[in-house]
Amino acid sequence: MNAAETAAREHGNETEAPPLLDIRGLTKSFPGVVAVDNVDLTIAPQEIVALLGQNGAGKSTLIQVLSGVHGFGSYSGEIILGGAPFRPASVSEAEAGGVAFLAQEVNVAPNLTVGQTMALSREPTRFGLVDSFLVQARAKAALADFGIDVDPATLIGDLDLATQQLVLIVRALSKNARLLILDEPTAALTDREAARLFERIRALAAKGVAIIFVSHRLAEVFEISDRIVIMRDGRINGDLKTANTSRDAVVALMIGTSIGQVRSSKQAVPGRTALSVEGLTVLPRSGDKPLVAGAGLSVAHGEVLGLFGLLGSGVVETAMAIFGAWPGKVSGRISVDGKAVSIASPSDAVQLGIGLIAQDRRDGLSGSHSILDNTILASLDALSKRLGFIDVIGARRATMDLFARLKIKAETIDTLVDTLSGGNQQKVQVARWLAAGAQILLLIDPTRGVDVGARAEIKRIWVELAEAGCAILLVSSDAEELVDICDRVLVYRDGTVTDVVQKSDLSEERLLRLAAGV
Amino acid sequence: MSRIVTEARGGMAISIRSPLARLLNNRSLRDSTLIAVLAVIWVFFNIATKGTFLTQRNIVLLALQTAIVSLAAISAVMLIVTRNFDLSVGSAVALVGVVVALLTVKYGVNPWLSVAISLSVGLVMGAWQGWWVTRMGVSSFIVTLAGMLYFRGISMIATNGATVAPLPAELKQIATGFLPPRASIILVMASFVAFAGFRIVELRRGFALGVVSNFNAELARALLPAFIITIAVIWLASWQGIPYLVGLVAVCAIAADILMRRTKFGTQLYAIGGNPEAARLSGIKVNRVIFQNFLIAGLAYGITGVALTARVSGAIAGSAGLFLELDAIAAAIIGGTSLSGGRGRIFGALVGALLMGSLNNGMSLMNVPTFYQDTARGAVLLLAVAIDQLSRRNAGSRP
Repeated sequence: MNAAETAAREHGNETEAPPLLDIRGLTKSFPGVVAVDNVDLTIAPQEIVALLGQNGAGKSTLIQVLSGVHGFGSYSGEIILGGAPFRPASVSEAEAGGVAFLAQEVNVAPNLTVGQTMALSREPTRFGLVDSFLVQARAKAALADFGIDVDPATLIGDLDLATQQLVLIVRALSKNARLLILDEPTAALTDREAARLFERIRALAAKGVAIIFVSHRLAEVFEISDRIVIMRDGRINGDLKTANTSRDAVVALMIGTSIGQVRSSKQAVPGRTALSVEGLTVLPRSGDKPLVAGAGLSVAHGEVLGLFGLLGSGVVETAMAIFGAWPGKVSGRISVDGKAVSIASPSDAVQLGIGLIAQDRRDGLSGSHSILDNTILASLDALSKRLGFIDVIGARRATMDLFARLKIKAETIDTLVDTLSGGNQQKVQVARWLAAGAQILLLIDPTRGVDVGARAEIKRIWVELAEAGCAILLVSSDAEELVDICDRVLVYRDGTVTDVVQKSDLSEERLLRLAAGV
Repeated sequence: MSRIVTEARGGMAISIRSPLARLLNNRSLRDSTLIAVLAVIWVFFNIATKGTFLTQRNIVLLALQTAIVSLAAISAVMLIVTRNFDLSVGSAVALVGVVVALLTVKYGVNPWLSVAISLSVGLVMGAWQGWWVTRMGVSSFIVTLAGMLYFRGISMIATNGATVAPLPAELKQIATGFLPPRASIILVMASFVAFAGFRIVELRRGFALGVVSNFNAELARALLPAFIITIAVIWLASWQGIPYLVGLVAVCAIAADILMRRTKFGTQLYAIGGNPEAARLSGIKVNRVIFQNFLIAGLAYGITGVALTARVSGAIAGSAGLFLELDAIAAAIIGGTSLSGGRGRIFGALVGALLMGSLNNGMSLMNVPTFYQDTARGAVLLLAVAIDQLSRRNAGSRP
């Protein structure tokens, strides 16, 4: 009996087939932190395993080792895939070994076409040349199979984030992998798209592919997975059959304690109007069909106003336009603290005390710079009063205060932002605007790609900021988040505000119905 | 160009381009802006020189004058697409020239063997710089800046600053010889027929696979420019034939264009330039591809060095290829290559080189002093890139 079989027997009676994947004693450290600590894990063919855990629990590192992002030699322990040692030095070697990986962040080369992106690094060739028509035809077929009607000749950079993600998912699914690893594949997707993804995942599993997927949406974890593996502090803290467990049990294993109620119990006292917008019309960069047509809103100090709408309804464009960051034409009247203002660029908005936390964290943060550098970016003027020299001590002190106040998990304020988890990166963005003394915060999907525990923590930060007098405009595709913390939610349909829902009437179902117009 | 967001079946919002936008895609719109600028300049010079500019003789001369920069620009595009720079081209070309000149003139080595050795020396130089960039992680800007200094220095040391000349007649023939008119015209027509045939076969296949919807329109779009170029080349060739040097540029450009747009390697270059991290996560061995990119640059040193030396019939270590790297980069940028990577086409760079060359040639015909020529070229470089930026902004693509 070989070692793989022994491991399978130990795992349970129902896994009679030898495991497809067998991880033994895997340890991976980064300077100052053991991200994955002596992990053993076996996965059988056809199994769909959900990998759960808090921020920094080690799940991303674990799957990055499996997919060759952290190459062989940078970790200790042994990985056996299909009975043979699996030691990928790079993503391409992992792929050649039958492991396909879909990264959490939507990461594309915007200058390639959809077809080229899907075929990248495994282009079909004819007489030594890339068979571009076959590339397109295959892409078209694969996309159609998934119900996505996109021309494969379109540049992928011209598509919105969700569609880009769908394209990457289709790419990962069509790789003929033995093991498919998906890191938060549904973060940018609508429910309908997610449902279609799950159908495909099941079909692949039925063909014998093993699937590991990371998600923070418990509903979908219970819908799709056979097994739930929970990590905490780099170790496996629970390995449960999905059928035999409950959400509460899973959450308890993830965070140790149950999540407290986020929503502030006291009714917000509406203060002065901080930001008011009337007749906002936003045109696309080219073309003249408005994305937002005559929308109006107002947020008071101390209020959390939600904006909710389906993809393309204009909610994101509204926030970008208010911040002066929309590349196309914008018209409308904006006033801040009762005074009419004109905001032509983000720098105007920052001057007026408005901060934006962008949908895509990479748009808002400079990953190769430290927490300190990112934090002071919007307050450089205030910090360089003396002849234009930066007050280094003042900058460090302010950053240290915010670092402690926001409980950013990192060694020091000099840690590079790239090495932080999604939740902590988001906190750095918050710190930046707090340092700049912003009184109006525009948030666009601020908890996208952030895990359950950190999500609750970040939501608490919004509520605290509002209680401290900030006006918060929260644009979110996550109805639950809006219901949790908003005082009022404006629902958009086709570029305009169609409904206003007060706090007492807020429910996820109501928001979804209003947004869909049913 | 308008992007229309529609509700597809299944209720997913997707974006498609209007038929007009599809026909006049970004690329061809940009190309036509560039060609329009070139046309304006040509018409201006033709009027200013009372018809001397647009004669067969002058255009052939212009093509010859542009040849060296064109060769260097081809490799510049390939490197800039992956966000790498090559500042060493001018010096590297001088060094290759010194090698070929010393071998043939001083040591009497067989000319063709000398050329083979020189091409290998170019490859080694490319590999050397690629090694520093990919293995040692030094930025290409620095590696090639250093290369610019020591390649020139080595050339001076090897020749002690003296001119090594004259080259054997066989080599001079590369740069000064012509393929006779009759043979040239037959070759050009055969190339057109081969291209058309290839395109028809390919489009048929695309049509059968269901990715080409309008066969005739696609075919016309592919063949019309090729046809116009064929006619123009036949007209030019009817004077004295095609210069071998211009033929060499054409062969290199076509090979490089096929490499860039039709091979796996080319797609990988564009992917790396567009987003290196996405490329790595897609399983591309980024460092290996960049190393190969520098190997190709090395081959280009070899070809350009031999061609330049043959053209001036000897190696002048101090001045050969001076500022060639800047002209090559300028040609690439004018031709639409993006400094931020991921975008750039070989034929654009050729038009860019032709544009710069036209300014030199036209102003020389008008007896404009050299100092004014440099000033004008600088202004045109700035203007061409600004126009390109504007046209792209209007076209609605990403900046």
